[in-house]
Amino acid sequence: MNAFHRDGNPPFGDAPNDHFDEMTGLLLLEGQLDDARVREVSAHAGSCTACRQLLQVLQNENIWLRKALAAEEEPVPARLVFAPQRGQSHWGWIAALGLGFGGAYTFWTGFVEPWFDQAGQAGFSQGSLLTMLFFTGALWKGWDAMRTTMELLAAGTLVVLGMWPLRRQWRRFAPVAFVISALALFVTLAPSSSAAEIHHGDPNYVLPAGQQSATDLIVTANYTRIDGDVNGDLIVFSNSVTVNGHIKGDILAFAQELRMNGTVEGNLRGGCHSLILNGSVAKNVSVWTQNFDMDSKATVGGTAMVGSNDAELDGHIAGDLLAFGNSITIDGPLGGGARVRAHQLTIGSDADIKGNTDYNGWRQPQISQGAKLASPIHATIQRPGPNYSSPRFYWHETLFWGAVFIFGLLTLLTAPGFFFDVVAASKRIGTSLGWGALVLIVTPVAAVAAIFTIVGAGVGIAALLWYVIALFAAQIFVGAWLGETLLGSAAGIGAAAGRLALGLAVIRVVSIVPIVGALVQVVVIVWGLGALARAVHGRMRHPMATAAV
Amino acid sequence: MNEAELAELLSQVRTGNANAWGDLYTRHAPAIFRFCRRVLPAREDAEDATMEIFMKVRQKIGSYDSSKPFMAWLYKVAANHCWDMLRRRRIRQDLETGDVETMPLEHPDPSQLESLIDEHAGKEVRAGLATLPDRARLALTLRYFAEMSYDEIAETLGVRREFVGVLLLRARHQLRAALSSGGQLPEFSSGRGL
Repeated sequence: MNAFHRDGNPPFGDAPNDHFDEMTGLLLLEGQLDDARVREVSAHAGSCTACRQLLQVLQNENIWLRKALAAEEEPVPARLVFAPQRGQSHWGWIAALGLGFGGAYTFWTGFVEPWFDQAGQAGFSQGSLLTMLFFTGALWKGWDAMRTTMELLAAGTLVVLGMWPLRRQWRRFAPVAFVISALALFVTLAPSSSAAEIHHGDPNYVLPAGQQSATDLIVTANYTRIDGDVNGDLIVFSNSVTVNGHIKGDILAFAQELRMNGTVEGNLRGGCHSLILNGSVAKNVSVWTQNFDMDSKATVGGTAMVGSNDAELDGHIAGDLLAFGNSITIDGPLGGGARVRAHQLTIGSDADIKGNTDYNGWRQPQISQGAKLASPIHATIQRPGPNYSSPRFYWHETLFWGAVFIFGLLTLLTAPGFFFDVVAASKRIGTSLGWGALVLIVTPVAAVAAIFTIVGAGVGIAALLWYVIALFAAQIFVGAWLGETLLGSAAGIGAAAGRLALGLAVIRVVSIVPIVGALVQVVVIVWGLGALARAVHGRMRHPMATAAV
Repeated sequence: MNEAELAELLSQVRTGNANAWGDLYTRHAPAIFRFCRRVLPAREDAEDATMEIFMKVRQKIGSYDSSKPFMAWLYKVAANHCWDMLRRRRIRQDLETGDVETMPLEHPDPSQLESLIDEHAGKEVRAGLATLPDRARLALTLRYFAEMSYDEIAETLGVRREFVGVLLLRARHQLRAALSSGGQLPEFSSGRGL
């Protein structure tokens, strides 16, 4: 073995095998040896092939390292485009914040609260929005026992899904996400709180007359017919459902066609294409349907909330009626008041409305001569298109702009990296529009499909919620892009916010132009949605943990 | 940008000119991001660090000695910040100084080292670098990316100047070992390297 000398050791001799070591070679190349040592080592290298080769390969390694480290293999993230700086309050920001909060307040008091009130009148009295929207309002009372669990599941799913695209900014909250995920998994695996009969039709399911289900009955089948009695709730997912028997609990149905000829001691809730109600419902009816035909013999003991394209209500409703849709016809007794928002309201000669009738629609209500009304109809007729001569219209537009701007500003401040990534993605207009069109169509379809699998209900509902939020958020990214295009790029959060404000204002102004405005809004939504999807997709593609550069 | 223009830009930054600050940032942020990307384990860390480093730069710009190269000062701020980040997270895996100083150093086979250089492209080198212990990774980056002197490296890493060469050589050995083993860093290469 050759003898090697580390730098600092006694000088090596002149013997051919008396080489200097790698450290000495490195220090020589790096200019770290004193002059005497440099002369000594250089002289040896001049006469020693092995050491000369060592110096050469170390020099090559230096070049190799420098070249590898200096490579610009990835672009600077959009988040780093703008210089960090501390912004200062400005009257413009204060005004914008005020407008934003004003817009939010107006939205809440003018839209959300009245609908809550209406929903409360229709029997939806829960305080929790999530509960009201997705559980208590839509499902049957048997879910009450599991409501907390389901709420946790839905909330957990929402939080996890929300954190996913922003996980890089929020990675310090990873333990929280983990706990929430574990919690969601735990509640998913938790045993159900009550036993229920579950039947999968092959392909049809029939509960014959004279037979009964001792507890809740859950059915998935092509065609379902219930002639017997169900001592609990009936939950059914089917192409066609006919109920002739007696249901002691509620009915929750999702079907192409639902024909209810029997009696229900609880509530009737569900969504279907066509609903024919010939029987009696002791409590409330809450349905979303294309066509709703309530026979004159049918009765509803509580209130009715109907979302329907075409509803013909000839039966007896003991409580209030809350109806949304295209054409609503009331031609039977109504124990409470009616609140209708539709294109057309028709009140037939057999109608007998004991409470107030409030109508908001596009056409004048048609009232038959024989109709009995406790008070004159309070009708608000919508005029097609915005009222450009009304200052209120511009005030509302300004408030709306403020609300959107605040939403965008919050996004910018809380997740600047994600915000800039989406804005950067929106610069590729064609690609974003393509993605947007795809997401616009596929997401609701997939979410609804997930909801129908029951197990994926939480994910599906959460996806729908995020879909709605994304539709709203789409305009802020296009607005930010537009502002930057108009004013040019500049450094800082403040500059980005100013460009966002300008871009949103331009979009708002263009949006109020008849026809063109509607088209612009559609394009903006599709465009922004696509950019959002591309940014999320881009972030998902990059591994979070340590990766090769 | 020549030195005079940079000096003018820096003087404007000192006066609080936001546009000058934005210009300075735009010119130098990519290099600092790449530096952080080499040193820190995750891309997100590099993004955060870049922002934080420039916030520090803005605060400390008054203490910058304009007689010295600005980039050297900037890299020093960046290196200190990154090293602090790594130390705070207590994820250093380096061996103690004593271990390194007693590390046997042997003559590498030049032909094998040449083959290693020829066979591994820049991407693989960066991937191998990412598997190195923090101090080794930082040392190589400070020297061969930021072009810091041995004195500056010693000051940044808090080691004696005489130790920097050992640290660099050891890091090179570890990188060679990582590349030879397909990215998996052996427990520690004794210095045989190849």
